[in-house]
Amino acid sequence: MKTINFIPLILAAILLVTAASANATDKYTEAMQKNITIVYTSRSATELTNAVNVFERIGEAEKTKWEPYYYAAFGYLMMATSEQEPAKKDNLLDLSLKSLEKAKAVNPTESETAALEGFVHMIRVSVDPASRGQLYSGLAMKAFGKAIALNPDNPRALSLMAQMQYGTAQFFGTSTIEACGTLSKALDKFETYKSANALAPQWGKSMAEAMKSKCN
Amino acid sequence: MRIFTTTIACLLAIRGYCQTVISGKVVDEHRQPVPGANVMLAGTYDGASTDSNGAFQFISTEKGRNILIIRFVGYKEFNQELQLAGKPLAIEVVLKEAINELEVVTITAGSFSASDERRRTIFKAIDIATTAGATADIAGALNTLPGTQKVGEEGRLFVRGGDGNEARTFIDGLVVMDAYSPTAPNTPSRGRFLPFMFKGTSFSTGGYSAEYGQALSSALVLDTRDEAVANRTDIGLLSVGADITKTHAWRTGSIAGKIQYTDIRPYFNLVNQYLDWITPPVAIEANTAFRQRFNNNGLLKVYGNVNNSAFSLYEHDIADAGITYPYHLENTYGYANAFYRQPLSAMWSVRGGFSYTYTDTDTKIDGQKIHERDAGMHGKLVFDGSVSDQLELKTGMEVYHHRNDQDIQGISPAGFDETIGAIFLETDIYASNRFVSRVGVRGEYNSLLNRAAADPRVSLALKTGKKGQVSLAWGTFRQSPKSQFLRIENSLRQENAQHYILNYQRIDNNRTFRVETYYKKYSDLIKFDQFGQLTNNGNGYARGVELFWRDNRTFRNVDYWVSYSFLDTERNYLDTPYPVTPTFASAHNLSVVYKHFISKIKSQLGLTYSYTSPRFYNDPNQDVFNGSKTPFYQDLSANISYLPKSFLIVHLSCTNLLGRDNIFGYQYSVMPDADGVYSGRPIRQPAKRFLFLGVLITLSKDKSINQLPTL
Repeated sequence: MKTINFIPLILAAILLVTAASANATDKYTEAMQKNITIVYTSRSATELTNAVNVFERIGEAEKTKWEPYYYAAFGYLMMATSEQEPAKKDNLLDLSLKSLEKAKAVNPTESETAALEGFVHMIRVSVDPASRGQLYSGLAMKAFGKAIALNPDNPRALSLMAQMQYGTAQFFGTSTIEACGTLSKALDKFETYKSANALAPQWGKSMAEAMKSKCN
Repeated sequence: MRIFTTTIACLLAIRGYCQTVISGKVVDEHRQPVPGANVMLAGTYDGASTDSNGAFQFISTEKGRNILIIRFVGYKEFNQELQLAGKPLAIEVVLKEAINELEVVTITAGSFSASDERRRTIFKAIDIATTAGATADIAGALNTLPGTQKVGEEGRLFVRGGDGNEARTFIDGLVVMDAYSPTAPNTPSRGRFLPFMFKGTSFSTGGYSAEYGQALSSALVLDTRDEAVANRTDIGLLSVGADITKTHAWRTGSIAGKIQYTDIRPYFNLVNQYLDWITPPVAIEANTAFRQRFNNNGLLKVYGNVNNSAFSLYEHDIADAGITYPYHLENTYGYANAFYRQPLSAMWSVRGGFSYTYTDTDTKIDGQKIHERDAGMHGKLVFDGSVSDQLELKTGMEVYHHRNDQDIQGISPAGFDETIGAIFLETDIYASNRFVSRVGVRGEYNSLLNRAAADPRVSLALKTGKKGQVSLAWGTFRQSPKSQFLRIENSLRQENAQHYILNYQRIDNNRTFRVETYYKKYSDLIKFDQFGQLTNNGNGYARGVELFWRDNRTFRNVDYWVSYSFLDTERNYLDTPYPVTPTFASAHNLSVVYKHFISKIKSQLGLTYSYTSPRFYNDPNQDVFNGSKTPFYQDLSANISYLPKSFLIVHLSCTNLLGRDNIFGYQYSVMPDADGVYSGRPIRQPAKRFLFLGVLITLSKDKSINQLPTL
């Protein structure tokens, strides 16, 4: 009786293991890509929440990947940008930073994480520019600087940095040459820079192109 | 046996997997659905988000023992062990609310916190700097908040029927003595500390924490900034002087030094003054701030301030303005403060420090020299801890020593030494995110008066909805009599006040509404008996209603607030023959503050309107004591800050645009004239308007840094 039962068990175990290992990357990539598309395109809070929840589940299962937490943070940031109420916006930005902390714990030298962190600070300024401008603009610039130092080819870090420089120059009526220089570098990198990582962030190009008209 | 069969059945299913359907519902403690919660099997991809009804469903190919985790912001994580064997599982989960900083109710009775970093504060540190009419004076800006009474000839904070001495200033929790600069008689003084030094301000008009003692009416708690992040040099060219600040920052700390020279003579030569100056005020001041962070997350803050100022003027006799006598004052002031804070564990932290204040004032009135020295020391040690997420504890001890000496013409010296030791314990108990109670007690022993006392304090706060909350506070507060009394009599008791406060506050997306009512009972106030001896037989009360409305949403780039305070107060103290409304009290105080950022001209424009109803004064020619009334007070001030370049700010401000001749009270001659009439004269503003121009330059590698927040 017992002997009969063992055979399918062992068989199944082998099947499971091979299937699991063969599927591991596929399943990961598949689940990631599906939800990355959602955080890039959806503006529905429910859809974004669902996607963020998936990223957090994946993040906990895949202890060596920074990408799930990165996209969870990106999802929270997208929710924050469409939220009108300042207190709720702050809560979402807090959650975004929390996810970025987890991403940093996995990979402390990832340029994309630093760039996104700066973006969070940038949105933080918009809640209350008068009293937050000084602190959070400084933090944003510092984060973009770090992102560029980690990877000088990161087009998102360059483009966000260009936005900050442009905003500052415009506010004080000074020359926008520096900002536009950074922007053209960013636009260049959007064309040429290709990460080896299939799941690497791709966003930001249209934002940089929209800014291009200001620099002509 | 059955397990085996199901297992086999599972294994033989499609692709050799076993699928279990897990479904359920997530609700909160009030049985309300929790949408958006993350439901997952630990260590797997399997899971789902709850829908708008709190329901979820997912299929897992895992089998055997698994942990189901349910997570949602603001709730405690839910964990449950599941046996997955292909049989559908239905689970209903009640998530327990977690006490969290963002949702939790805060005690707001009596308190106005200002911070740029924390949210849900209704008054920000930058507001202090940019309020028109305040000319960057902390007390001036706080005077636009409810609970304060404008006393134009003093410039200090007068809170809810309390006199200027009843409001105490603390820097990083440590007491500051003589927090205001000396001024000519009946002219407003300025706070010694500039608002930009502080990242947070907590202004309490009553019911404050057991941590703060020796204040009958108000505690102003200022938290200094942490370390600077960049090297910079700031230069200020002002119509009344100049200053230079150098800041040097390193990875774990910073040091800053500032030298300021104030000379109002050129200004007084241009603008006519009522006062008959011999030498208008000249002051030189040096400030330093040192910050160091340590590897153990400790932070050390050291701050020092020394100031020397002098002026002289002619005082005119009240009966005969032709008779003058010179009045000369020189004051040397030093304040040093060292503060250290360090986490001890995940739950506990310790903070403490030491402050020292020294003041030396030489006054010469008509040739008569008065010399007063005042030295205060304050040491404090506080432990803050979270016993659980629902119970927070604060306990500490402090020692306060005060030495005061005065002599007239080098003779008849009088002085005293007072040491106060105190311990305090306070707990915050969170029943839920909606309800918190704070219970505290403060025990004090005073060596000079040889008395011990315990002051209980209780506050409660309840959220009435998502945006509104009600707070209640009660407590007893005590303070030593003023130095001038302690010098001559040490058998006195401390003066006493009891506060009862009820507050409702609603914050809704950048709009704040607040209403507060209070009753304050004074006892043991200093009173002269019929022989002119000092006693503690004085008493009094103050009660009132206050309203506050702030809105920075309705109009684009506009932020405005309106404060109104009604005060009814009487005191039977000092030399009053019966209970009267004190001269510093006014029944109605109104402030309207308007700030508008106009990006087109790169400027911030500010306007402040203040109204104070007539105040009582004592006319010795009348039968009724303190029965006469001044005209009402009114002021409209404006300021404008212009930022032509990122490193340059031009700041212009002017008080009393309407040019009203405000009268704060009347002074009378000591002796009646031949006809038995006491002659009097009004106490008015030293000049109709005060005009200030400043050009502030910042030199730094990061060009976007400027001094705007310091204005």
